[in-house]
Amino acid sequence: MYHWKKIVINGMPLLFLCLLVEVMVGQLLLLKEQVILARLPVFLIAIPVINGVGGNIGSILGAHIASGLHVGSVEINLKDKIMHETVITAILMGSITYTLLSIGIYLIGWINGLAMNVSLLSFITTFLTTGIILIGLLSIVSVVTAFISFKKGIDPDDVVAPVVTTIGDTFGILILFLFIGV
Amino acid sequence: MLKQSLPLLILCGIGGIFTGSILGSMVDIFHRIPGLLVVIPGIIALRGNISTAFGSRLGSAYHLGLINAENMWNDALKQNVIGSLILSVLVSATIGIVAYFTTLVFFQQQVNFIFLLGTVLIAGITSGLLLTSFTIGIIYLVFKRGYDPDNITGPALATVGDITTMLCIFASAVFMEVVL
Repeated sequence: MYHWKKIVINGMPLLFLCLLVEVMVGQLLLLKEQVILARLPVFLIAIPVINGVGGNIGSILGAHIASGLHVGSVEINLKDKIMHETVITAILMGSITYTLLSIGIYLIGWINGLAMNVSLLSFITTFLTTGIILIGLLSIVSVVTAFISFKKGIDPDDVVAPVVTTIGDTFGILILFLFIGV
Repeated sequence: MLKQSLPLLILCGIGGIFTGSILGSMVDIFHRIPGLLVVIPGIIALRGNISTAFGSRLGSAYHLGLINAENMWNDALKQNVIGSLILSVLVSATIGIVAYFTTLVFFQQQVNFIFLLGTVLIAGITSGLLLTSFTIGIIYLVFKRGYDPDNITGPALATVGDITTMLCIFASAVFMEVVL
């Protein structure tokens, strides 16, 4: 049933697409390298957290919508009530997680003796605003991807997670750069 | 949804803070080798994709009755291990090559190609080996206790995967600096 050649061939196209996007994300980092490395290294700690949590929330949301579609409790309709409730829960969950983690990051940066150049309050504000906008965006992406793939007869479980994490990585960094004004 | 997912999210976020701290302590090496920063998002993302897919395939194989605790090291598992490792090598090498050329085109900046390729390959292969063994270990424990692997491997890999990958990139960059 499993053969390594099949695994490699099935995995390659999506992986290559993700790879190209992710290298571009890396180029964005390089473009703003001086600012992040020299002036605000604490945001270097923040990037994996913003992207990781955003991607996870988007994937959890997508998995719930996908199961709902499979079971028939969610309809392909932008006015679907259960879908709205799931999105609101995701945003609430994200706000709590991001607030707690931003305090943790600030403390770790401070303990590690990184150059801070930013107050705790404005760090939390920047982090939280970036996070909430990201989750809002990823919720839309996740719901739309789940709807489209389900309509086309592709299992949303296979598609939503890679799409959401890749878009999350790109926009997480773009939105963050917008707010720290680099 | 809130009750079940929130603890997991926070745990994963703490994993993210660790990953970020490793990035933070690499500031000096990023200064010395500018192109290195470019490969970080790619390696982390693809490591995550490859090992999560590996974990979920093993989960499905368990549900299909292809592997279980008594019959672990069989052909289904071997094919999956080989497939994941080959994907790791191919994808890591491509990341290195694409990163080298895009840096050259966008920034007219010449990164040491051998350094970049060596670093991503060593990091990709070592993190692939470590995370594959980790997944097999977790799956074995899950089988023995009779849990559903689908509920455990994803979050476990999300937390441990990024940290392991970051450590591997750090170590292989230092290694390549010493060698070259």
